[in-house]
Amino acid sequence: MFRSFIKIIFIVFFLFSCNKPNDTIKDIELKSNIINSYIENGKDRKISEEEREKYLEKASTLVSTLNDNTFKISKKQEISYGYYSLGDYDSYKVLNEKALKLSYKINDSLNIAKSHFLIGIYFRDRTSDIQTTFENFYKADKIYSNLYGKKNSPESFAYDHGKALIDLAQILLKNKDYVRSESLTIKAIKKFSLSKNKRYLPLCYTNLGILSKYLENYDRSIEYNLKAIEFAKGTNKEISQTITSYSNIGTVYKSQKKYEKAKEYYDKALAYKSFLTNNLKQYSRLLDNLAYVNFLSNDLDSIPNLFYKALRIRDSINDKFGLTTNTLHLAEYYQSIGKDSLAISYAERSQSLSEELHNNQELLQAYQLLSEVSDSKSGLGYANKYIALNDSLIKEERLFRDKFARIKFETDEIVEENQQMSKENQILIIAILGLTAMFLLGYIIFRQQQSNKELQFAQTQQESNEEIYRLLLNQQIKLEEGRQLEQQRMSEELHDGVLGRLFGVRLSLDGINQRANDEFTPARDKYIEELKSIEKEIRLISHDLGSETLPSDVAYMDAVETLIKDLCAIHKIDYEFSNDEKIDWEEIPDNKKVNFFRILQESMQNIFKHAQAKNVKINFDYEDSKINLTILDDGIGFKSTKVKKGIGLKNITSRVSQMSGVVQFLSNNDSGTKVSVIVPI
Amino acid sequence: MIDDHPMIIEGYKNTLLGENQKEYQIKIDIASNCDDAYDTIVKSSETVPFDMLFIDIKLPPSSDGSITSGEDLAKHAKELLPKAKIIILTMHREDHRIHNILKNINPAGFLIKSDLTSAELLLAFNNIVKGKAYYSATVNDHFRKMMTNKFSLDEKNLKILYHLSRGVKTKNLPNYVSLSLSAIEKRKNQIKEMFSIAKADDQMLLEEARKRGFI
Repeated sequence: MFRSFIKIIFIVFFLFSCNKPNDTIKDIELKSNIINSYIENGKDRKISEEEREKYLEKASTLVSTLNDNTFKISKKQEISYGYYSLGDYDSYKVLNEKALKLSYKINDSLNIAKSHFLIGIYFRDRTSDIQTTFENFYKADKIYSNLYGKKNSPESFAYDHGKALIDLAQILLKNKDYVRSESLTIKAIKKFSLSKNKRYLPLCYTNLGILSKYLENYDRSIEYNLKAIEFAKGTNKEISQTITSYSNIGTVYKSQKKYEKAKEYYDKALAYKSFLTNNLKQYSRLLDNLAYVNFLSNDLDSIPNLFYKALRIRDSINDKFGLTTNTLHLAEYYQSIGKDSLAISYAERSQSLSEELHNNQELLQAYQLLSEVSDSKSGLGYANKYIALNDSLIKEERLFRDKFARIKFETDEIVEENQQMSKENQILIIAILGLTAMFLLGYIIFRQQQSNKELQFAQTQQESNEEIYRLLLNQQIKLEEGRQLEQQRMSEELHDGVLGRLFGVRLSLDGINQRANDEFTPARDKYIEELKSIEKEIRLISHDLGSETLPSDVAYMDAVETLIKDLCAIHKIDYEFSNDEKIDWEEIPDNKKVNFFRILQESMQNIFKHAQAKNVKINFDYEDSKINLTILDDGIGFKSTKVKKGIGLKNITSRVSQMSGVVQFLSNNDSGTKVSVIVPI
Repeated sequence: MIDDHPMIIEGYKNTLLGENQKEYQIKIDIASNCDDAYDTIVKSSETVPFDMLFIDIKLPPSSDGSITSGEDLAKHAKELLPKAKIIILTMHREDHRIHNILKNINPAGFLIKSDLTSAELLLAFNNIVKGKAYYSATVNDHFRKMMTNKFSLDEKNLKILYHLSRGVKTKNLPNYVSLSLSAIEKRKNQIKEMFSIAKADDQMLLEEARKRGFI
């Protein structure tokens, strides 16, 4: 019982201690899961819109607690889609504007472009502000275009880019900028092919078909429309696309005045009856178009009933755009059969609808028709209106183009600025890197110099050491020389002066003594003999003093032998020392002498410290212009392979290599050590 | 009598002019340096030549430097006064000097001052007057040593030894002896072998050579 309780405590404790470090990561994972589920629910069409909105709100609040990163932006976008499907366009716009801001903040080009695109959609669908729409799409396009070659997978954003491009193309189409619209559409097609998502290809080709029609490239227009049908095949939009394309082809033929062909295609479109009964707008347009073609081709059997059929449908669904066209067509019909009053009434209806809808194209036609059918006075007024409107339209078009050009220019400028900025950033980074590198280099050089200085210092110290030694040696030599000179002088003084005079005195005394020849003669003889022995002693002293004419280089060997003698005396070891006479120490450079001296000192120290030797033998030999210094002891020796080189051995080695010589340390256990240094002179 | 110490000349005089020397009329001229000695010798060679010359080896050299020792002076005297008996009196008793003097001057008398007593001086004097040569015991010793050597050294070897003994270095020897350095080395080794001290250094060689009377 007690044991299991402890177990539980232990496990709980263990779990807690385990959880702690993973806390934040788990937290984030949890959050993102919750957000995802909220967004999922927000999109769920089975739930009531209110609840969906609530879910989206929750998701939005949670997302705003996230750190600023790409994930946060993409979640904001996902939530915005939810709002869009709910029809809450303002929330959609606000969210995407936030996403845009965030993208700029973290410099996420991909999401900057996408946000611009999404905002563009808002302006396209919810406002008539073509300028802002165009601006956003244009920016998206520009940024996407810059990303190719920089990002690794252009497929990922080519689809979004294509959508922005086709939107731009459609705006330009509306603005009658056909050539640019065409090029943008082609560009869009390329992007969609790259993304391998063919959903918008039919739309693109439809667009191309319309453009070709306006550019009076009718054959190609038909071709494009057929292609659009082809791309729609197998998709859920196959029928609607087929109807649209056939309708468009009909219109192309109509423009070419090939009315029979036009009728054929309208009929083909109208064959999709079941689809069209559910799409009355399209149906009525087809009927109207067919009727108009019939009218144009003078096939008046079904006229004006077909017009009225279309008109009725449009009235029922309040399709005002359709009505303006429809009424205009009727007016045209009545004008042709001379029923001017009916023509005027339909034309006026079209006029008022067009004015309401700002459908200037139809309005213009209405004015034209009215000016033709009305009496001369009011006809003139309509004609004037027509001219005024036409002028203003042309003006507006031009203005629009100017605006587009300006937007384009400004956006290009911004993009360039961004590039400039990124270039500046690059320059800054390069500059920083360069500075860092230079700083490092400088530091390294500084360190190098410092160590060089240290080395130089060590070198000069060694040099000065050797200089001091050399001076000492020279001093010793000088002292020695002085001493010898003095000895020589004393020797000569004794020999030639004192001894000579003493001899003279003795000889005189002897001579006198011989002549005197009395009882004291033997005693005097004895003293004279004594004088002689004094002479002899002085002569010996003089000889000793004078014979010590040592060569001056003996000073070095003296110093060496003194060193050996002193060290051996301290450590109570016997020594043998020999120096080859052939070595002319006077001629050997001081640094070598110093090195030999130090090597000897070092080796002796080693012997005293480690060898436990009783005898040491030191030889300086001369062979083939090489000095061979051998230091041999009878100590315990060492294993030459096993002993790590101490500072002593290292010093010896470095000194020998400094003299470009060879050093050998030979030793076996219990057989002593031999240090052999061979140095060329 | 040529000696730079008046005391020594006085000693000679005291010995020679004693009462037991009455059978000789001794007239003594003295000189204390090479210049005076040379002048006196020249003068006597032109007038009354000296019968006997007492010459010290160590003398102040002549002012022109041509005569540096009693040895040089003796050479001149032999030329100028061929009949004169030359007695060398010297403080030096080193073998090589004795050897050189004997060789160069071949004096009638050769006395080493440190050995000398007035009795010996008289003896030498009397002998030389009678035409017999007289050498000090030390000089005779030197003779004996020379004779007992089983071999002799030629002039070149002697020169090498001599210059070495003067402190000249082996490598500088070619300047003094007209031989190459390697030849000198060879000769030195030969000498060492002859002395049966093959592996000795220069100092030992010189010691041995001195012992054997070659220097």
